[in-house]
Amino acid sequence: MPLIRKPSTPPTAAAAAAGQTAAALVSGTADERWAAARSLATPEGVAALGEALAAEGDPRVREAILTSLARVASTDSAQAVIPYIRSDDAALRTGALDALRAMPQAVAESLPGLLSDPDPDVRLLACELVREVPGAEATRLLATLLDGEAESNVCAAAVDVLAEVGGPECLPALARCAERFGHEPFLGFAIKVASERIGAQAADRLG
Amino acid sequence: MADLAKKRVLVIDDASLVRMYYRDALERAGYEVDEALNGLEALEKLLVAPADLLIVDVNMPQMDGLTFLKVLRRQDLPLAATPALVTSTEAAPQDKAAAQAAGANFYLVKPLTPEMLADYAGRMSGRPA
Amino acid sequence: MAEPIQVSEEEYSRLSDFLYRRTGMVFNETKRYYVERRLTDRMAVTGASSFASYFARLRSDANGEIEQFINAFTVNETYFYREDDQLRCLTSDLLAERTARRRSGAVRIWSVPCATGEEPYSIAMWLLETWPQVDAFEIEIIGSDIDTRVLQAAEAGVFGRRALMRLPPELIEKYFERLDEDSWRIIEDLRGSVRFTPANLIEASETRPHGQFDVIFCRNVLIYFDEASRRQAAENLYENLAPGGFICLGHSESMSRISPLFEVRRFADAIVYQRPKEGGRG
Repeated sequence: MPLIRKPSTPPTAAAAAAGQTAAALVSGTADERWAAARSLATPEGVAALGEALAAEGDPRVREAILTSLARVASTDSAQAVIPYIRSDDAALRTGALDALRAMPQAVAESLPGLLSDPDPDVRLLACELVREVPGAEATRLLATLLDGEAESNVCAAAVDVLAEVGGPECLPALARCAERFGHEPFLGFAIKVASERIGAQAADRLG
Repeated sequence: MADLAKKRVLVIDDASLVRMYYRDALERAGYEVDEALNGLEALEKLLVAPADLLIVDVNMPQMDGLTFLKVLRRQDLPLAATPALVTSTEAAPQDKAAAQAAGANFYLVKPLTPEMLADYAGRMSGRPA
Repeated sequence: MAEPIQVSEEEYSRLSDFLYRRTGMVFNETKRYYVERRLTDRMAVTGASSFASYFARLRSDANGEIEQFINAFTVNETYFYREDDQLRCLTSDLLAERTARRRSGAVRIWSVPCATGEEPYSIAMWLLETWPQVDAFEIEIIGSDIDTRVLQAAEAGVFGRRALMRLPPELIEKYFERLDEDSWRIIEDLRGSVRFTPANLIEASETRPHGQFDVIFCRNVLIYFDEASRRQAAENLYENLAPGGFICLGHSESMSRISPLFEVRRFADAIVYQRPKEGGRG
């Protein structure tokens, strides 16, 4: 009846023991690059990880590189990831955004700059990062963005985040945005829903 | 109880208000609507309940819309050929080309109106809008 | 018990959108009564004076509040043969695939976190009872948990009436010895079939020595980790799976909120996730 007569020596992952250096991160097999990426989650590894990201073609190794950068969670590691949200490759830019989401404190100081970036695609993705910011600060950042934003798609991204995190302080900015983009059906709808949700919370706070 | 005569649309977008808006427009146009928040969830939902057409955002967490389409199109299953409208905030020609290379049947730059949604859903499901 | 608080439609949407984004669980109108009841309880415990203040706490996941809120909606009691559709899937599909091209050798199964051991012992009993090839393979079952106190209890293998409620009497008769009116102990043979070890899923140095498995059961834990921990745990679990190996999550969990490293597979009895075989999706 016993299921095992004796415990075997467990087979260990080949990847686990393999290359541990920055060299392996660039020139190794996919398993070796994965192992190297995982072992470089230290402040000293950030530069090598950031460089490797540009050249890495295997999505799983890319994921491991981004996880290690997120684990370091420093200004440097955030700066190593941020350029990739400008990538033309959708998988790379959204992967970079996921990694930034995993290190909200490290990203916080870069948020105002990203939210006023000349590139609307960057501003749009940066709105999503504000979701991880505490409510009062998130409300302030996105209300500021809304008042100066010319692109309706960026406003829509900000409004979606505000619908979850926004406080009543952003209601005037939402109203002004609705006036400017009144002709745009989706944005009008989104602002109405977000305002109702935030308004319900405001009423709740007073009541 | 699902209405068997209704075509089923899977809306794949991480923005909750976008999903809500599309759902409303498509339900009013006579479609049955389900939602997924990213490409991974969409693949999982399609294995359980195939859809007649897909409306796919590009930038989403965990798996973006183009990776989703590439993975879907490579499956050895009938659902691999499900028609897909990719919706994006990026209007440059290379963005459209990337979506087509990934397997998009149509590509529209956001924002979409209810009329556009009904029109393209009709085209993809072989039914007049 | 206090009257459940009633939240407005907008507040309910805000809450359900957040929970769906964060966990993949859908809280629609049909669950509203239960959600309001849970809100009332959690607001009382946390001292939140309004929905707004509780929601802020939930969003920041202060002191694991998301798990506290959600666990009223998941099957969080541990008992034998819980989630038996995954056990059926294990023998009818997963092991069949893992042993398709061999007639002997090792089959390794990991239950993590295993708490007081009901899951790994259930797996051992299930295999003995239902898997025809059970004698052909060296089957190694390991239960691991971060909490060493529960591991001691798991090793002792003493269970109360409640843990046994789903088991048919003949199985209780076969695999347990009765200690007194309300407690039973797993028989020595079955206890020898499961090994227990401490492991923190976030620490590669603790997961790696466990080696690679054919199937991992990892229920109701990943979804509650924060983003950074989830990524690390998913990568550790990926390393602990043999290429082509499977991972089973809890019923209400979806890998779509956790990690893109795995591929989803649908079998007759369950949705499970798989580490791609060599040369997979890429």
